[in-house]
Amino acid sequence: MSGRAIVVTSGKGGVGKTTATANIGLSLASRGQKVVLIDGDIGLRNLDLILGVENRVVYNIVDVISGRCQHRQALVKDKRMSSLFLIPASQIDQKEAINADQMRDLSTQLKEEFDFVLIDCPAGIEQGFRNAVAAADEAIVVTTPDVSPVRDADRVIGLLQSSLGEPQLIINRMSMAMVRRGDMLDQQDVLDILAVRLLGIVPEDEAVVIAGNKGAPVVLNGGSPSGDAYGRIARRILGEDVPIPELNGHSGFAKRLGQFIFGR
Amino acid sequence: MSQGGTSLFSIKGLKEGPTLLFDDHAPFADVVAAAEEELARANGFFRGSPIVLHFGDRLLQKEEWWHLKETLHREGVLLRYVVSNDAASRKMLYREGLSVRESMPLPRPEKTDQDPLPPEGQRASYLRHGMRGGQKEVFDGDVILAGDVNQGAEIIAGGDVVVIGTLRGVVHAGYPDNDRAVVIALNLTPLQLRIGPLIAIPEEGQNHRGVQHPEVARVLDDQIVIEPYNGKL
Repeated sequence: MSGRAIVVTSGKGGVGKTTATANIGLSLASRGQKVVLIDGDIGLRNLDLILGVENRVVYNIVDVISGRCQHRQALVKDKRMSSLFLIPASQIDQKEAINADQMRDLSTQLKEEFDFVLIDCPAGIEQGFRNAVAAADEAIVVTTPDVSPVRDADRVIGLLQSSLGEPQLIINRMSMAMVRRGDMLDQQDVLDILAVRLLGIVPEDEAVVIAGNKGAPVVLNGGSPSGDAYGRIARRILGEDVPIPELNGHSGFAKRLGQFIFGR
Repeated sequence: MSQGGTSLFSIKGLKEGPTLLFDDHAPFADVVAAAEEELARANGFFRGSPIVLHFGDRLLQKEEWWHLKETLHREGVLLRYVVSNDAASRKMLYREGLSVRESMPLPRPEKTDQDPLPPEGQRASYLRHGMRGGQKEVFDGDVILAGDVNQGAEIIAGGDVVVIGTLRGVVHAGYPDNDRAVVIALNLTPLQLRIGPLIAIPEEGQNHRGVQHPEVARVLDDQIVIEPYNGKL
C-alpha cells in the first residue's frame, strides 16, 4: 500500500497550519483512514499540544532520523482515534538536524503503512520548509484573507509549483461579517490573486481557540462551524464532491466562483 | 542638430563600445562631413578608444572609404570592426584590411518625428504562465505574458511588456533607457511601474480591484501616464 503524503504549508506563521493539520488528520481518521501526522516544525513543537497528547511523547522525529529509535517507537497514538498517529517534532534540536533526503525516506516508509502522511510545515521558506516539501507528493496551502499572508502564500505557491505542482488552498479564519463590511478580502479577492484550486473555507470561530487550548480539536465537537468546515475539507481530500457552503449568501460572485472551482 | 549626432550620422554607446552609425542613403560626402563635425566637437574624446563603424545598406566605394579613413585617422580613432549589410562593400572593406561583420545587434531606434512607431516584426518572448511573488525574469526585448503578475514578482524587459491578466507586481519596460516602451495589461494595478529611466508609483489607496478594463502605460512629456487601452497604441 502506498499512501498520500500531503504537506500543509503557508509561508506566513500563525495562519492555522498546525490547527488545520490536526483537524484534517482527525477528520480523515474518523472516516476510517489510517493517518500519521508529522510535526515538521523542529525546535518549535506544537502539534502534540493541539492534539492534547503532549504527555505521551517519548521519542521525536530527530530520534527517528538519527537512528536513536525505530519510527514505530516514535509514533504517538491519538487518545480518541485509534487510526491517528503523530510523530512529534524535537523541541531542542535545530531545523538543520535533518535534511530533505532523510525526510523523504521517512515519508516513503510511512506511506507503506498509512493512507495519509500529513506534514505540518514550519513557517518560512528555509530548510524546514524544504524538508517538509521534499517529503510530500501534494500540498495544501493555508492562508487567512489578509494581505500579507496572501502575499506569502503566493510566494510559497510559486515555489511549490516547481516541485509538487499546483497546491490546493484553504482560506482560514474567514469572517463573513468583516467581508460584508468591506474590512476583509473576500474569497474571490484571494482566489483572484492566488489562482489555485480552493479546497475549503474555514470560518472565524472562537471554538478553534478554545479547542487548541484544551487539546481537543474542533472536529471532535460536532456543530461548530469550523469543525464542520474541516470535515468537508477531509471529504474533498477523499475525492467527494462537496459544495462549499461558506460561499452561499454571496450570490453575485458565488456563481462565478462555483464555476471556477468545479468547472474544471 | 541633436545631441549625439545628426540624421546623417550618430554615435551610440553600445555593449561593443562606441559605435558610429552612418545614414544609408544620403551622399557619402555629406555623411563624412557630418561625422567630421561631430568628431571635432567631441574634442578628442574618442582618441585611442576602439570603435565600431556601421554602414547599414550603403554600397560603399573604395574612394569613399579612403576619405573617411583620413578623417578617422586625423581624429586618432581606432577601429574595432566595421559592419555592413552590403556584400560588395564588405568585400571591399575586407580587402582594405579591416575586420568586417555582417550585422550587429542594434538598439531600438530613438524617437524621431519621421518614425513615430516602433519597428514591427521583432520577436517577443511569450510566457504561457503568470508570475508569483519572489519570481523575477529579465528579457532583452518585448514580452507577452498570459497570466497574472502578482505582488512581489518582477519583470525587466528591454521593450514592451504585455500582460494578458492582472499586473500587480513591478514591471520595468524599456530597460534601461527606452522611454518609447509601453506596458499593457488587462488589469493594470502595479505596485510600481518603470519605463526607461522613469519610475511611477500609483496613488496610495488605489483599490486593488478598482480597474477592470485594459490599460496602457507610456511616457508622455517625461511622465508615465496610464490610459484606457482601446485596441491600438
